[in-house]
Amino acid sequence: MAERYNAFSFVDRISSLEPGIRAKGHFRVPGAVEDFPSSLVAEAIGQLAAWVSMDQLDYRFRPVAGIAAELTFLRAVQPGQRLDLEVEIDNCSGTDVAYGGRALVDGKVVVELHHSLGPMLPMEEFDQPADVRERFALLRDLGAPEGRYQGVPEIELVPLEQIPGQMLKATLRVPETAPFFGDHFPRRPVFPATLLLNTQLKAAIRLASESDYWPRNTPLWAGRVRDLKMRSFILPGQEPEIRLALADPVQGFALATMTTHIGGKRVAHALAEIGPLTVSPEKR
Amino acid sequence: MSNLEITEEEIQTVYPTVAKTIADALGMDEDEVELKHSLIEDLDAESIDFLDLVFRLERAFKMKIPRGKIVEDARGEMPESEFEQNGMVTEAGMARLKIFLSEVSADRFPSPLKAADIPRLFTTETFCKLVVRSQKDATAG
Repeated sequence: MAERYNAFSFVDRISSLEPGIRAKGHFRVPGAVEDFPSSLVAEAIGQLAAWVSMDQLDYRFRPVAGIAAELTFLRAVQPGQRLDLEVEIDNCSGTDVAYGGRALVDGKVVVELHHSLGPMLPMEEFDQPADVRERFALLRDLGAPEGRYQGVPEIELVPLEQIPGQMLKATLRVPETAPFFGDHFPRRPVFPATLLLNTQLKAAIRLASESDYWPRNTPLWAGRVRDLKMRSFILPGQEPEIRLALADPVQGFALATMTTHIGGKRVAHALAEIGPLTVSPEKR
Repeated sequence: MSNLEITEEEIQTVYPTVAKTIADALGMDEDEVELKHSLIEDLDAESIDFLDLVFRLERAFKMKIPRGKIVEDARGEMPESEFEQNGMVTEAGMARLKIFLSEVSADRFPSPLKAADIPRLFTTETFCKLVVRSQKDATAG
C-alpha cells in the first residue's frame, strides 16, 4: 500500500531509546510541502511515543489519540526543517501510555506536549504486528528515507450558524478516502485527531480575527491548547458538527472552546488560547 | 488496604478535589457531581473518561495510581481465578465486591455481572476511597 508509512508518518529515525522510558528521534519536513502545522508537529511527538510503547508491549497493542492536558506551540515550523523529537514515558501498560515530549528545530523548542495519554487497543485491529515490528527495526537502524510526506488535503468546513467574532457551528466533511487513511490505520481507517485539531484551530483563529479584540490584520495564532480529549473515533465519510465559541481576552489571549459532535454526542473537546504572535506562551 | 479502614472524615477531606477533578474530566460544572453519582449511569462517563480521571487524580494529589487498582484492591488476597471466571464475576467475587464497594447499594449489582462491567458500579465516593487508599499506600510504602 503506497500510503503506508508515507502519507501520515512523522518519524524518520529513532536515534536513541531507553525501552519503555524515553527516546529521541527526528523527522525532516519535506521542502516541497506547502506548510507543516503545529498540530502535525504534535502528531510527530505522539508517534515517537507510540513507537516506544508498541515496542515495549511487543506489538500486542497500539495507542490511539486520547488526552493531552497541554500542547504549547512556541514557533512555526517551515518546510525543509528537521524536527528533533524527544519523549519521556511516564506509564506504559496494556491500558494506556502516558507521556510528555517536545520537538526542537535547531536546538529551539517549537512544540511541547504535557501530560498526554493514549489508550491502548489491540494492535491486530489496526495493523499487522509483524509489519509494525519490522518498521520499528528500520527506524532504529538506518531510518526511513526522508521526503515521504506530501501534505494533506484541506478538510472542508461548511458553516451552519455563525456570529462573527463570537461563535461558529459548522459541518466538518471528513473525506471518504484520503491517502492518510491508508497510514492511519491500514486495517481500521480513523480520521487523525491532529487533523481535526488543525481544522478547528484555523477556524478559531479566523473567528478571533473577526472580533474587535485586536486591530484588524493583527497576525494571530494558537499558542496553547488545553484539555484536549478524543472520546471516540471519527470515521471516513462522517460529518461531525464542530462548535467554536470565543471568550473575551484575558492576559492577551482569547479562549476558544472547541467541541465536536456526532449524532448529538460530544466526541472531542479542546480549549485553545488565541492571541497575537507577540504574546508568547513562554511569557505567560 | 480495605475500605473498612477509611473514615467518613477522610472521604470528605478529599471529596472537593475529587469532585472538581471528575467535573473537569467530564466537562461539567462541579455542582453537578455528587458523592453518590455513578460515573457511567448518572454522569455519562465512558472508558476514556476513567483513564482521564485517574490521570488527573494523579496530578491533583501528586501520586501514582496503578491502573486497575480499584478492582485489584476489591479482589485483595483472593486469586484472580476465584474472583472471576470466563469474564464473569464469581459468587465469591461478588460477595467481596459488595463489601468493598459499600457505597454502592445492593440493588445496583446485577447478577450475573461481567468483570468488564464492574466500572459501571463506581461512584464519586469510590474514587474518593481510591485516593485515600493510594495516599495511605504511598505513606506506608
